Amino acid sequence: MSIKLQNVNFIYGAGTGKEKHALKNINIEIKDGEFTGIAGHTGSGKSTLVQLLNGLERATSGEIFYNGQNIYDKSYNMRKLRSKTGLVFQYPEHQLFETTVINDVQFGPKNLGLSQLEAELRSFNALKMAGIDDSLLDVSPFALSGGQKRRVAIAGVLAMQPEVLVLDEPAAGLDPAGRDEILGLLEKLHKENNTTIILVSHSMEDLAGYVDRMIVMNKGEIVLDGKPGQVFQFEKELENIGLGVPQPAKVIHQLKEAGADIKGEPVTAGESIDAIYNWLKGA
Amino acid sequence: MIRDITIGQYYASDSVIHKLDPRVKVVCTFAYIISLFCFKQLSGYIIAALFFWCIIKLSKVPLGFVVRGIKPVLFMLVFTAMLNLFWTSGGNVLVKFGIITITEEGIERTVFMALRLVFLIIGSSIMTLATTPNQLTDAIEKLLRPLNRIKVPVHEVAMMMSIALRFIPILVEETDKIMKAQLARGADFESGNIFSRIKNMTPIIIPLFVSAARRASGLALAMDARCYNGGSGRTKMKPLEYKGRDIAAYLVMAVYIAVIIIAGKYLPF
Repeated sequence: MSIKLQNVNFIYGAGTGKEKHALKNINIEIKDGEFTGIAGHTGSGKSTLVQLLNGLERATSGEIFYNGQNIYDKSYNMRKLRSKTGLVFQYPEHQLFETTVINDVQFGPKNLGLSQLEAELRSFNALKMAGIDDSLLDVSPFALSGGQKRRVAIAGVLAMQPEVLVLDEPAAGLDPAGRDEILGLLEKLHKENNTTIILVSHSMEDLAGYVDRMIVMNKGEIVLDGKPGQVFQFEKELENIGLGVPQPAKVIHQLKEAGADIKGEPVTAGESIDAIYNWLKGA
Repeated sequence: MIRDITIGQYYASDSVIHKLDPRVKVVCTFAYIISLFCFKQLSGYIIAALFFWCIIKLSKVPLGFVVRGIKPVLFMLVFTAMLNLFWTSGGNVLVKFGIITITEEGIERTVFMALRLVFLIIGSSIMTLATTPNQLTDAIEKLLRPLNRIKVPVHEVAMMMSIALRFIPILVEETDKIMKAQLARGADFESGNIFSRIKNMTPIIIPLFVSAARRASGLALAMDARCYNGGSGRTKMKPLEYKGRDIAAYLVMAVYIAVIIIAGKYLPF
């Protein structure tokens, strides 16, 4: 089971004279259970890419295969695809509309055709997973705080129990605690339910500690693809496209450049500290 | 799909038409529209067509762009043409089929009426293509200033207009985004009868209203923070002033009107 993109191109405003080539010849395969990060500067095409994954936008050319089936086949059921690939947009709290939190979360499951009981059960579980207290279930979603709204909105997608969860900048505009909560929730989902997660962000720091694989995009093209440690080796290139590497990786780089014999490719602060400790102990 | 809406679209360029004072463009567009109803014969249509052909060329806006302005009103155009075609009596009868009668005069009227409407739409779309919404409201504010004497809040009305225009693309984009977000949650906007479809729009309408209110209160706060308190005593960074080319434009317009009227009187066709 996987998502596979083959020679995918996407052009905004095709045929109007104001064309914008948002994606250029994209070829990637995302395997089942992978936690993938897509990084890129504003306008690099990352948001467009994730909208292709559940058929909201249609590629101008190229093919997309979900579990080996071409989603552009006439007989392919787009709505079913959307129930399997959960997409959480930027600022998902802007999509809340129901009178109570629980009703809003139920919107997705009900659209799947589930019974009231099943929908409610799934919604309870999703809200619990997202860390929303039971006392808030019957509160208007508009009365919640920003961070709570965001978690309710994410729960609305989780309640559909998608096989693949795609999130576009889920931590944008949150304070550090809120950001850690959301990213921690994703990590938990990935570990416990083995959900395939695709996390889109322009923040290398956010991605570094969580993802197994990092895809870096620039101007509609994939420029780097690999483990975070490998990707961070290309510090110059990343800085040139306006991304840069997280502080810990930067420190390790500079130490290595100065001649320190540090082993491995540490990514997070903790890993870097260990690596430096081991190097000092060995030296 | 929803992004195709092109109301008040602006086409950036540095042409003479773009540089004209917006008041000139508003006044001349009005004059042009009125002139369209001042003639009856073929010669008038030819002169009007030639005139706006020159304007389009001068404005450097691609013809395709201008013509696209007709699309949204195409239905209305066809509808009026049909009415004219079938319900005009008099003249030689060409086709008679049941209640449908097509006469020579009917065809003539239909063609001319359609042409007039097309000219009218294209004429006004040149104005919006070559003038930013802000310039346009500036012009309207200044042109309507005399109404201040009879206590019409001209500045406030102009400000509301420019805010409304400014927010059209933002809200269109927002609608697009919310629609996609709800589609991703399995919403269905395309099936069912008209009532269930209207009901299915709730997940779009409510977030849209909430976001419009949020933006409005943010904007009000930002205006307040910049000490905005209405029109009295307010000056402009770029006040509108007539230049030589604006006078010339008025003269050209006057000549055009004169030609249309004279042609209508003395030309045989």
